[in-house]
Amino acid sequence: MTDVPTVDVTLDAKGLLCPMPIVKLAKAVKEMEPSQVILLEATDPGAVPDVAAWAKNTGNPVLHQETVDRVMRFWIQKS
Amino acid sequence: MSKIVYVHTGGVNTPERSATPIYLATTAAAMDVEVGIYFTVNGPTLLKKGVPESLIVPKYDGQGAPLRRFIDQALDMGVKFYVCQPSLDLHGLTKDDLIDEVEMIGGAAFNDMALEADQVICF
Repeated sequence: MTDVPTVDVTLDAKGLLCPMPIVKLAKAVKEMEPSQVILLEATDPGAVPDVAAWAKNTGNPVLHQETVDRVMRFWIQKS
Repeated sequence: MSKIVYVHTGGVNTPERSATPIYLATTAAAMDVEVGIYFTVNGPTLLKKGVPESLIVPKYDGQGAPLRRFIDQALDMGVKFYVCQPSLDLHGLTKDDLIDEVEMIGGAAFNDMALEADQVICF
């Protein structure tokens, strides 16, 4: 298993459906300092492609991601 | 910054079509895209005062949410709402009948917005 980055902020978006995980992620990242890491937890079935698209367009990289059962976790760094 | 304009033509008679352009616009705003929604044809009927609170966006299980929730999410993310005058006339509406967050634009301004945008998406 790859090293899991240290987390500064955790965002529990489990149970929320599109577009709320991305909306909450965007708001949370706005409050963060550059280079801080947010852990997003989501169960929305579209979360993997949605987070990838969001990260590509906003320039905030996904450092690590994993799916356990139905919960997807994303470690995202504010650029 | 990228720009997207959504064109929303659905009105109160098609509640199942009312929210989708709005929440796609909200998502785009969350992706740091500059977003506007241009309400035309029947679209302005969704923005008449009182309608967002009473129009329920349907869901298969009957647990739909009022349109106001989607509108507030969009406004909160910085999505701009535009309406054109002729489509108000079509429904006997005036600017004063609409919720306060709406900006009036004309056809020239809309076309300019479309030319400036990276994408125009029509509903």
